[in-house]
Amino acid sequence: MQTQMVVPPTPKSWYLPSKPHKFCPGCGHGIVLKALGEAIDELEIQDKTIFGCDIGCSLLSWDFFACDSTQTHHGRTTPVMVGIKRARPELITIGYMGDGGGYSIGSQHLLNAAVRNEKVTLILVNNTNYGMTGGQMAPTTLPGQKTETSPFGRDPEVTGYPTKGPEFVAQVTPDSAYVARATVSKYNQLRRFIRNALRNQIEGNGFSFVEVLSTCPTNWRTNALQTWRFLEDEMEHYFPVGEIKNPFGKGGK
Amino acid sequence: MQQVITENKKAFMTGNETAAWAALVSGADIMFGYPITPQNEIMHYWTRLAPQYGRGFLQTEDEISAGFTVCGAVQSGKKAFTATAGPGNVLMQEPFGMAEGMRLPLLAVIQQRGGPSSGTVIYSQQEVTLTTFGGNGEGHRIVYSTATHQEIFDYVIKGFNTAWKYRFPTFILGDGYQAKMREPLELYDPETRGIEIVDTYPLVGLEGSISSADRGPQHLCNIYSMEEELYDVVMEISAEYESISPEVVEYEEKHCEDAEIIILSHGVVSRAADDAVEALRAQGIKAGYFRPITLRPYPEKALRAAIARSGAKKLLIAESAYGQFYRLTRQEIYGETAKIETLFMPGVGIVDNDIVSKVKSIL
Amino acid sequence: MFVFTLKHSPRVVEAYVGEYASGKSELAINRALELKFQGRMVTLVDLDTVEPFYTLRPLKKMLEEKGLIIIGYSRENAFGLGETGAMLNPAARWALWREGDIILDIGYGVYGAQTLNLVEGALESNELRVIAVINYARPMTGSRQRIIEYIKNLGRVDAIVANTHLGDQTTVDIIKQGNNEILAAARQLNIPVNYMAVAEDMSNYIKIEEFNLPVKFIHRYMPQALW
Repeated sequence: MQTQMVVPPTPKSWYLPSKPHKFCPGCGHGIVLKALGEAIDELEIQDKTIFGCDIGCSLLSWDFFACDSTQTHHGRTTPVMVGIKRARPELITIGYMGDGGGYSIGSQHLLNAAVRNEKVTLILVNNTNYGMTGGQMAPTTLPGQKTETSPFGRDPEVTGYPTKGPEFVAQVTPDSAYVARATVSKYNQLRRFIRNALRNQIEGNGFSFVEVLSTCPTNWRTNALQTWRFLEDEMEHYFPVGEIKNPFGKGGK
Repeated sequence: MQQVITENKKAFMTGNETAAWAALVSGADIMFGYPITPQNEIMHYWTRLAPQYGRGFLQTEDEISAGFTVCGAVQSGKKAFTATAGPGNVLMQEPFGMAEGMRLPLLAVIQQRGGPSSGTVIYSQQEVTLTTFGGNGEGHRIVYSTATHQEIFDYVIKGFNTAWKYRFPTFILGDGYQAKMREPLELYDPETRGIEIVDTYPLVGLEGSISSADRGPQHLCNIYSMEEELYDVVMEISAEYESISPEVVEYEEKHCEDAEIIILSHGVVSRAADDAVEALRAQGIKAGYFRPITLRPYPEKALRAAIARSGAKKLLIAESAYGQFYRLTRQEIYGETAKIETLFMPGVGIVDNDIVSKVKSIL
Repeated sequence: MFVFTLKHSPRVVEAYVGEYASGKSELAINRALELKFQGRMVTLVDLDTVEPFYTLRPLKKMLEEKGLIIIGYSRENAFGLGETGAMLNPAARWALWREGDIILDIGYGVYGAQTLNLVEGALESNELRVIAVINYARPMTGSRQRIIEYIKNLGRVDAIVANTHLGDQTTVDIIKQGNNEILAAARQLNIPVNYMAVAEDMSNYIKIEEFNLPVKFIHRYMPQALW
């Protein structure tokens, strides 16, 4: 008897020896990285892409792609990508990080790379907590949300409101930058935003930034229905999805 | 590469400018930096000169970023460097650690200023511990401690070659006095001295297509899943560091054949030590001079040999810090019985008379 | 015998500009002391805004003992030094309002002579002379073309002082070769060269008649400053 396994279509730019990947069941990273892989394929940039990953769950992508890749320190993926791009402008640099890396420990790098309109693409995955270290409060944790370091729910009086990254990046970048917020619940839009962010770098226009709302059932302690409900009802309500800045003209919601 | 120095000639300049010119003749492609005294003129001169020779510069948002942009640029195969001091050196320990862990040919010029904390912007030798053994690693770094402008020029050129040949982060350890002092030196094109510039090569962004299976992708990392994996990595790096150390180590020794006391110093203080030894000799006191040029790796064997050869009963360690060079030296020559005397002057200059009087008070 | 004629001579107001480590401070100090020895009242102003406190600070006390009035920070009032201190001494801003001769030591920097905008009345003054100090052994001014470009970038320059030297490795040949290039550059720029400065320990080797410009032997004070 022969069992026919259904192999899902995988992007050509994925590195197959590292599959299946190591993310938790229900984690959104796999969806983001699939959209990124398809965008890389579509734009035919696999051979000149340098993929850089941060520390945290994003680290698990260090050998995800069949692209030259380098892993950095927590929060420092942005300057490493900037260094590569400044030294070799012909390369396409993609920095991949979480909300802690981008908005907390590496926020000065994100802000200043945006202000300088660095020609890099950064993809930041927002799952409202520090996943790899065990579910602590992140800059993006929603008001009232429980985490290991906000056991009674995040109190904005004490710890402020969630960071709205794309909104602040849009404020400090010129019109040639690309800034968007996507969600893993809308796959085609997510892929389009990532493709636009890469195209913007390929064309040498400016800084390109996509925040992606993502899921973390392991640390949220949610089942599939609850996970999706938190993403679509809570997160997408608090963090509006769409293109905030698009040098290619009017983008879709 | 456009030739920077067409005719070798003497110039009168400061140590900071010297470092910028040396980086230029070494073929450095790009500098990343953040302002901090007393290294600023390295950036000032680099930014004035670089565009004339098609070289790059980026002033980053902080020293952390300056260090990491250098890490990125060298991974892409370009000769990149930075310069810093004091609190900036503290912040750069994080990227320096990445360079150690990933064997990145990073070059940094450190112009020591006073510490702890903001200290002074002027001078010290208080960044010895930080530069040799900073970070959460094992000190797998190469540190040249210069004493003159000519050495700053020579060792920046050599430092780039060392970094790219051995792939250990390399430091030119100067100080605020050397940074700001003015003195003559000879500027030269390395090739005219028979110095071959070591080729650079990329770790990412390599030639060849991955999509058409010419080659596989590069996956670089500095974190490991298991204790044993990291153990293997660190042991391999350690073994390689130890094996190249004899080729890298450098020192300067004078009058140690019959010395009763050997004066140990490094960097700009060794100029005073040199004068002091001559003055003591003129007065009939048998003093010797030993100066590690590389603080990492330390010229341990040479120093032990000098002590044995001379039969010196005493060593005097003179430094503009409170014992950083002393601790480094002591651990390297553990077991030697010569008594170690010290002259610690943290954050201030040491002149020959300071050393002469100290020697007379202990002999 | 009358000695008061000096009182009626016009006052000297000179600003020394030039490349980093070109000898601005050295020549400003020598000029200030020269005027002082003539019995004049002289104020020396440290206007280094890029790296204040490095240049004149260590020499301030010694110069005051020689009778100069110094506007510049000394150790006691230079809290925080280069990075956190006030960059411009308020007294320096109003220096031209003072009586007597004024010698301004302008630090290096990309703004060149524009630093004089910080001094009240400098640009309106018909007494002010802006003097560029050029050392041919400085790589940035190490060729005729570089000197010309450099001086053009400085902004206003009324005169040049040729100050080629290599510290304690100076030779007569180096001085001759360098200063000839400076003279040639000055001719092209149509700016007069006031004199050439030579360290006094070279005086035995220099035959003044071999140079077609005045020679001034100067004392080197700056090495005492440790940098």
